[in-house]
Amino acid sequence: MPEPSSTSPLRFTGHKYLTQRLVLSTLTGRPIRISGIRSSSPTQPGLAPHEVSFLRLLDTITNGTIIEFSYTGTTVVYKPGLITGSAAGYGAASHGGVLRHELPKECNRGISWFLIPLCMLAPFSKQQLNIVFTGPGVITSATQTGDVSVDTVRTAILPLYTQFGIQNNIELRILRRSCSGPGGRGGGGEVQLVFGHQVRLPKTLHLLNAGRVKKVRGVAYATGVAASNNARMIEAARGVLNQFADTYIFSDVSSAPLLPSEKGPPGVKRKVGIGFGISLVAESSTGAVYSADVASPPSGGEPPEDIGRQCAYQLLEVISKGGCVSSIGANTVLTLMAMGSEDVGRLQLGRDVVGSEDILMLGRDLRGFGASGWGLRDADDGEGDIVVSVVGRGVGNVGRKIA
Amino acid sequence: AQKMHGRRRPYRTAELARLMYDESLTPAQILRRWRGDQNAGATDMDEENEAEEDEFFRKAKDDTASDDYEDRAIPQYDYRVLERKWTEEENLEDLRQRFASANLSSGANA
Repeated sequence: MPEPSSTSPLRFTGHKYLTQRLVLSTLTGRPIRISGIRSSSPTQPGLAPHEVSFLRLLDTITNGTIIEFSYTGTTVVYKPGLITGSAAGYGAASHGGVLRHELPKECNRGISWFLIPLCMLAPFSKQQLNIVFTGPGVITSATQTGDVSVDTVRTAILPLYTQFGIQNNIELRILRRSCSGPGGRGGGGEVQLVFGHQVRLPKTLHLLNAGRVKKVRGVAYATGVAASNNARMIEAARGVLNQFADTYIFSDVSSAPLLPSEKGPPGVKRKVGIGFGISLVAESSTGAVYSADVASPPSGGEPPEDIGRQCAYQLLEVISKGGCVSSIGANTVLTLMAMGSEDVGRLQLGRDVVGSEDILMLGRDLRGFGASGWGLRDADDGEGDIVVSVVGRGVGNVGRKIA
Repeated sequence: AQKMHGRRRPYRTAELARLMYDESLTPAQILRRWRGDQNAGATDMDEENEAEEDEFFRKAKDDTASDDYEDRAIPQYDYRVLERKWTEEENLEDLRQRFASANLSSGANA
């Protein structure tokens, strides 16, 4: 619920957890002031291109947001507005209800870096969210900067929303694939997110049984390189995983996106975002998902067998950490739980998942935004997991409020 | 499972709950304190912590490299360590309990 904007902004420092804080600020309506963003860096002080782009994205899907930068970009004051989604009259009307967001070519983060926080906002939007990410900076694959691929978002993050009763009309279309371009920057892919299920409050969640992994699914993708790379990745990954579970990995081959070249004569296009990668998702009998992602580095030099095997081992590692949600989805689930109705939700997480910097910082940030602290206790089943109890704040959807 | 969880037993949950909201510590410090001095195993998290310490001293000269340490969704794994871990029969047997096909012999659904 937005408090009067006259309240003093919450203060944060540093560029870490930027999206998380912006999302919490938008959901709770509390203005924030983030200072010291890479202020000690002599070469690249202030916000990076992808961070500026994320702020613009927030501005696009909200109404009444005020963003103020300092001269050097090391300080940002963010006063959130209402999340309107693709409502008519806010730029979407001219494109048939679809918002377009263009990413600059300097962007070195995968599209999932934008999608995952955006999906946290979407259920609380006033109208459905229908947005196309386009431009020379869209990287759909996993990246060297640690982002998951768009396939993982679709198969491992979006299903988490089902647990909260948010499941209708949600779609993530991959219109054009792309791996990271030269130097890990830029790609040229295209992705459309339709998030059409808006709720007043997400359901209170009780996830205490992780179940057992019953199948592994995956997508191997190759853009602009031979399809045999996919086959080789799949074979190596299956070699590791077949002894555990039913494994099936899809193969998707596409040509590399063409972008106008900066050098050379105008009109000449060049291929960017060439590479290959693999995304694996393991699903348990109770619906818990674990995912792993590896993509070829932009510099090349990794054989596809290694990529496939690394991804399989990463998946085993994630499964071994246990819990009902892996560390990739934990932020999403915990944030939605904190926004839920004023009731205690419980979530069993692996010990190493709770004991990670990201989750600890999320807990602290949530409390900073006025949510109550988490309760931690050991799980009963002797697996060594931790049960996190989260009291919802009843924030919910301001745009859909009745009475 | 016993080997893995036996190692983690010192990581008490109540301890983490207590440390978590201590605003005088950074998350990295909390984790180090929570784990105690058990860094012998050198898990990937420890490496990340070390990397961050390194970053502190390196920041002035090599900023592009330190950018890699921001907000990763996938932690940086040392794949050689992982490969060694997940080719050891003992670890594989432990992990098999997490799969629905636990009672099948290996390679049953090839």
